[in-house]
Amino acid sequence: MNQKVFAPWDDPNQKPLIQFQNVTKKFGTFTAIDDLSLDIYEREFFALLGPSGCGKTTMMRMLAGFETPTSGTIRLSGQDLGQTAPNKRAVNMMFQSYALFPHLSVWENIAFGLKRESTDKDAIAARVEEMLRLTRLGKFAKRKPHQISGGQRQRVALARSLAKSPKLLLLDEPLGALDKKLREETQFELMDIQEKTGTTFVIVTHDQEEAMTVASRVAVMDEGRLVQVATPADIYEAPNSVYVADFIGDVNIIEGNATPNGDRVRIDWAEGQPEIWGTAQKPVASGERISFAIRPEKVTISKEKPEDRRNLLEGEVIDIAYLGNISTFHVKVGNGQIIKAQSANTRRLANRDITWEDRVWLTFTETAGVLLEG
Amino acid sequence: MRRFSWFNATSLTLGFAFLYLPMVILVIYSFNASKLVTVWAGFSTKWYGELLQNEDFLDAAWVTIRVAFFSSVLATVLGTMAATVLVRAGRFMGRGLFSGMIYAPLVMPEVITGLSLLLLFIGIGLDRGVFTIVLAHTTFAMCYVSVVVSSRLVSFDKSLEEAALDLGCTPFQAFRLVTLPIIAPAVISGWLLAFTLSLDDLVIASFTTGPSATTLPIKIFSAVRLGVSPEINALSTIMISVVTVGVITASILSKRSAVAQQRDEQAATQATG
Repeated sequence: MNQKVFAPWDDPNQKPLIQFQNVTKKFGTFTAIDDLSLDIYEREFFALLGPSGCGKTTMMRMLAGFETPTSGTIRLSGQDLGQTAPNKRAVNMMFQSYALFPHLSVWENIAFGLKRESTDKDAIAARVEEMLRLTRLGKFAKRKPHQISGGQRQRVALARSLAKSPKLLLLDEPLGALDKKLREETQFELMDIQEKTGTTFVIVTHDQEEAMTVASRVAVMDEGRLVQVATPADIYEAPNSVYVADFIGDVNIIEGNATPNGDRVRIDWAEGQPEIWGTAQKPVASGERISFAIRPEKVTISKEKPEDRRNLLEGEVIDIAYLGNISTFHVKVGNGQIIKAQSANTRRLANRDITWEDRVWLTFTETAGVLLEG
Repeated sequence: MRRFSWFNATSLTLGFAFLYLPMVILVIYSFNASKLVTVWAGFSTKWYGELLQNEDFLDAAWVTIRVAFFSSVLATVLGTMAATVLVRAGRFMGRGLFSGMIYAPLVMPEVITGLSLLLLFIGIGLDRGVFTIVLAHTTFAMCYVSVVVSSRLVSFDKSLEEAALDLGCTPFQAFRLVTLPIIAPAVISGWLLAFTLSLDDLVIASFTTGPSATTLPIKIFSAVRLGVSPEINALSTIMISVVTVGVITASILSKRSAVAQQRDEQAATQATG
């Protein structure tokens, strides 16, 4: 079993499909994109993730050609895109609003782009049929956009943007308008289609779960800058900043003073509280102010005091969030800080013993959390 | 609260009487058998028949229709272009001034529009006739077209045009293949409006016309100075019906069809619904 892991970003011999080189985009005095450099590789499913106003949509619109960078260059397969008009780029976009042409049928919508570059009717028809099959829309070919459901429209938009076999497909919040259940199904469908067609996808989303599910790599953005670009697992397990840790999923942040000790770091975080031991990813200076970030699911909660554990905090249950599959306990420890602990509900409700105002013990291993600056 | 009250009923009757009584009298007398306009002598359609024999009136009708057709087509093209640019161009220096200048002729007294056009035509040495009336009517009708079309364009989803560009259209193709078909109802109703405006214009036409071209309104106006004949009544009745049909069609088209299109467009651009 010698399956190769898909990670072209780790291979120095790989040439990136898209290169942002020191790209800055200003709208008047507002800087939407600030001196940003980024490589995206062929066949990647790349997610731009961030809150609204972070510049992710501007990045996408620059790739599509609707905006041009104020400075810096964007290259596609090594060629400078520069001022190339949107209709001259091997890039297609799936719009957030889908932007289906209301006066054309599903079939004509998908054929629209093909008709612009070819007059071969048979070839166009064959390609449209292929797209209809890929997106399971065969039955609806003759319908107008307002005669089909939201999920079907989403697939028409996808089929239309894929029909021209672009080198790069841009997806602007493609699933934002669908309800949760349909969105989850569609995420897997998108991944499936991306794999089948081998197209490079760049998706813009503010939904971190969506980015984590579909993407091979995620770029977390804030105020026009890239904060971290990494695989979903790295983003989640090894965030490089408090911002990323906080933006992706739920996290407890404990601030304290560091004292390195071998490859471990001792953190004194509150008077009269037992210290916390963490593992340093990079050298930490003695006495440095740091944040210790730990995910709630990595904190174990119990009523009995575990023996011989280094990271052990005592507290009182303030709140319980019951989500069905898991429960999150909000525990107030000695100095008043709330620490969240999660446990999977493997037993039925009646059999669980921790409840409000219980005294409980929280433990975690020395490698469970990450140390972050500041 | 939709209760019947005598006050409401009276105001309504008075209001409509004020508006339509003169026209109703005119229509009734156009079916008068007597040659005397004010004396009713029984029902007859003979004046309509005589009207069809009257070469002068038929010529004037033909001139009017030609003027209305050409000026409305020109006005539609220019008005749609102006509306597209003003709605699409976003913000730029003097945008308010530009749109104001497009709409200003709407409130400009017709006498002044007519006079200034007359001076222009004399100034550049253009022989006055059908051509100059067409130009003059285009000038004032394009404002109306532009108002109708731009009100539709404001609610037009810009991402539709971007999608067309993205799929390989030139900006002109995007307009022709996507924008125009979608805003067509507004463009058509703008055209109908321009057509009917041109049909019944007297002031501007009389300023800019020459001896070779007499439109119906000019003809009627000059004929009436010699006394109202039942033929004029018949002719006016025909004009009233043409204009009414035109205006009603225009408003139905712009209302119903634009609403339907907009619904489709919204449905197409929103996932749920």
